Amino acid sequence: MVSEDLESSAKKILDKVEVDEVEVLIQRKDKALTRYANSKIHQNVGQKDFDVSIRAILGKKIGSVSTNSVDEKSLVDALRRAENIAKHQKEDPDFIVLPEPKEDRSGKENYFEETVGYTPDQRAEKVKEIIEYASSKGVDRMYGAFETETIEVLVANTNGIMKSSRMSKANLTATAIADWDNDQGFGWSEQCSANVKDIDHMNVAKTAVDKGLNNMDTESIEPGEYTVVLEPLAVNTMLMYLAMMGMSAKKVQEKRSFMNGKFGEKIMDERVNIFDDAMHDEMIGFPFDYEGVPKQRVDIVKNGIANDVVYDSYTAGRDEEDKGSTGHALPMPNPMSPMPLNLMMDTGDASIQEMIEDTEKGILVTRFNYCRPVHPVKGILTGLTRDGTWRIEDGEVTQPLKNLRFTQNLLDAFSNVELIGAERVLFSLGYYPGYTSVPAMKIPKFNFTGTTEF
Amino acid sequence: MREITDYAIKRLEDSDIQYGDIRFSDILIQSIQVRNGSVESIKDNNSRGFGIRIIHGGWGFASSSVLSKKGIDETINRAKKIAKASGKTSEGVEIKDVDVYEDKYVNDYKKDPFEIDLDEKIDYLVEANERLNIDEKINVRTSNFKAWRFIKEFASTEGARIEQELVQCGGGLSVTASDGDDVQTRSYPNSFGGDYSSRGYEFFEGLDLLDNAEKTAQEGVDLLKAEQCPEGKMNIILNTNQLALQVHESCGHPTELDRALGTEASYAGTSFMTPNKLGKLRYGSDIVHITSDATAKGGLGTFGYDDEGVKAKKVDLVKDGIFVGYQASREDAAQVDVEVSGSMRADGWRNLPLVRMTNINLEPGDWSRKEIIEETDKGIIFDGIKSWSIDDKRLNFMFGTEAGYLVEDGEVKKLIKNPTYTGITYEFWRRCNAISGEDDWKLHGVPNCGKGEPPQVMRVGHGVAPARFEDVTVGVGKW
Repeated sequence: MVSEDLESSAKKILDKVEVDEVEVLIQRKDKALTRYANSKIHQNVGQKDFDVSIRAILGKKIGSVSTNSVDEKSLVDALRRAENIAKHQKEDPDFIVLPEPKEDRSGKENYFEETVGYTPDQRAEKVKEIIEYASSKGVDRMYGAFETETIEVLVANTNGIMKSSRMSKANLTATAIADWDNDQGFGWSEQCSANVKDIDHMNVAKTAVDKGLNNMDTESIEPGEYTVVLEPLAVNTMLMYLAMMGMSAKKVQEKRSFMNGKFGEKIMDERVNIFDDAMHDEMIGFPFDYEGVPKQRVDIVKNGIANDVVYDSYTAGRDEEDKGSTGHALPMPNPMSPMPLNLMMDTGDASIQEMIEDTEKGILVTRFNYCRPVHPVKGILTGLTRDGTWRIEDGEVTQPLKNLRFTQNLLDAFSNVELIGAERVLFSLGYYPGYTSVPAMKIPKFNFTGTTEF
Repeated sequence: MREITDYAIKRLEDSDIQYGDIRFSDILIQSIQVRNGSVESIKDNNSRGFGIRIIHGGWGFASSSVLSKKGIDETINRAKKIAKASGKTSEGVEIKDVDVYEDKYVNDYKKDPFEIDLDEKIDYLVEANERLNIDEKINVRTSNFKAWRFIKEFASTEGARIEQELVQCGGGLSVTASDGDDVQTRSYPNSFGGDYSSRGYEFFEGLDLLDNAEKTAQEGVDLLKAEQCPEGKMNIILNTNQLALQVHESCGHPTELDRALGTEASYAGTSFMTPNKLGKLRYGSDIVHITSDATAKGGLGTFGYDDEGVKAKKVDLVKDGIFVGYQASREDAAQVDVEVSGSMRADGWRNLPLVRMTNINLEPGDWSRKEIIEETDKGIIFDGIKSWSIDDKRLNFMFGTEAGYLVEDGEVKKLIKNPTYTGITYEFWRRCNAISGEDDWKLHGVPNCGKGEPPQVMRVGHGVAPARFEDVTVGVGKW
């Protein structure tokens, strides 16, 4: 259920349309974020916003306007501006029509009153407990953020789509710096859920604190190829960049995807299955995309084979064989659309502890930092380890290591995978309402190309 | 909107808070992108609202787009509750005293980009896009334009009343070429949308996209068959578009005092340039002089006053190669007792101000670019941002550019592809042995600097002239 005022705002616009087609996207957000650093809350914000985006279409000419003014005059003014832009536009021969209504797949609603009603005092209390726990364990300083958010979205168009949904989100992060004066003892943990009551803040604190306390007196290790045990957050980063580097129809159509020329071919280990599924039980997602198209499950890599990519209505219309949109449009117009926003990976059968015990010589990685594609079409990514990197020797975690830079072909990494974790962890991507749910992985021959000083 | 800010300040003054301010913004953004001959998007985005900061035990910030007395009252109450909650873990907040201003500021521009006929902008971009269409190997051609207008009003319980109007614009070109074996991208005047300035449409016209389209496209195609960047250690010369990013990542971010004090530790990270190194750390060679200058004419980080009401100023960060200064907010400056640099900015009314780069500039040297090349036996010129990564203390970095040019015996010999270089920040800057002078100095605009939670995207500037660095590791990774 979404407030009737969103539907009312959309109707005010659709009732006054003077061009061929119009799409209205309304998003209402209520976000609160309590940030803590040096063991005290230093930034604490509450944001309320309402955004109306209008796409006006005249033949194959498209104009777009967005506004956050919601009175009827402002909405109609915005419509007229969008229509006027469309009149000045050049034709886009690849545009067909706005989507027609289709029934969404059924699934749970990711909206919880506990999250909606969570107060600044409640967030502050949890943060205080995290700080006090860390202090009791001898950790110098704690850092992180506790975020709660609700989003309502409505999509309507002149072809009859009028649908709305809502979701809530709670995300807690914690960084421990166990020894501030000597600049060491970094540890990290985070948890994400649609329902804030599921956030186990003390478990997040304990994981970050344990990692921090076990990450002192780090040593350098020579760059080179090592077997790595990647915790789920590190795998999440790799998967996120793989998505950016080529899991959309647009990238494929423009020959900018690592999947170009490889459909039907094995590009990863046969145990690797990567799919996008907003309606999966473990996932948080809207049932439709920003054009109002139902979100389909898309099996992107199936048994290691390049299988499919995600589509919006525009890219679907450009393919010779129009398979239809898979429901992966971003708010349009958008050069990044379409994009998978609910990526998941099939689990294996190993625990992280078993991966470590199975490793004679290797490196355990908590997470990666500041990754960037070096050559997107070849799938080459660089970045650094962060907040907990350890040497593994004879099946045991032995020595904390200074952070390392990797420069790695991700297709090679996913091809070389030796073990896949038995459990998935949900992460917020931090942009749009985007999430991943991924397991840990053990990968040999991971290429580290540099070291840093901490 | 004076009535909004006046009402808010009266309510804030009547309450029992330590400090309060309101920042109202009316933001208009126009973006046009042409892709492969068609106008992919034209979008006008208008957003109005206000943010209220309060110190009341701790910091509280709340924002709203409800522009009424009721909306202000609700937002003030929310900010107060948030501030009081912050106080649960805080022992109070101290902010450094600054001069208080009542003033108006409008940045210098000749042609209002929003007054230029839409057809003129579209036709120009379509023409530029067509001029990129020189070879069937080119799969993607983009030409784009973007303009911003910020009308801002800041008022504080200390008596500040500042109105500002900032107009900014720019654009660029890009091609992606593919031959079945490789894919390469080339952009002008820089990647990620081009170049931007706090000037009017005259700046966009001055980019001269039409005359630069064919050369850009040809180099995109040529890169497909260019030799791979060699591996090893050698001299490198950074052209201004890449040097701007080098300054941004390896000096701009680590001299943000909030980072150095740990307040970004859980997200973007901290800094190796900690307060105990101020005045002592040899950051670079003697010729390295880096400033934070919010007064630089036309800079994308230029303004009259920051979002704490501090007047724009120029501050030394690195002088004669020594780390000497920070970008600091009133709160951070009070903790370390350094100068308030006037660097606090929010990317809109929704978000709270953070320490953000203004124009972080490498001051000109006494070489010319031509002389640097002539005096280089062997090296690589790096041009056009492609890939950038740096650790969370801003020490180990690796950058890749769209194109490289091999220099031998003082001459540019050939184009090379996938050029990368890596190093440790202070070691790298200590190897800087030549900086070009004012004639080669260029002020670039970077419109996409990310920081903070919730994330904010800021427009910043970097003035640089080409510079040379010796004995740098190039050609990283397996290809």
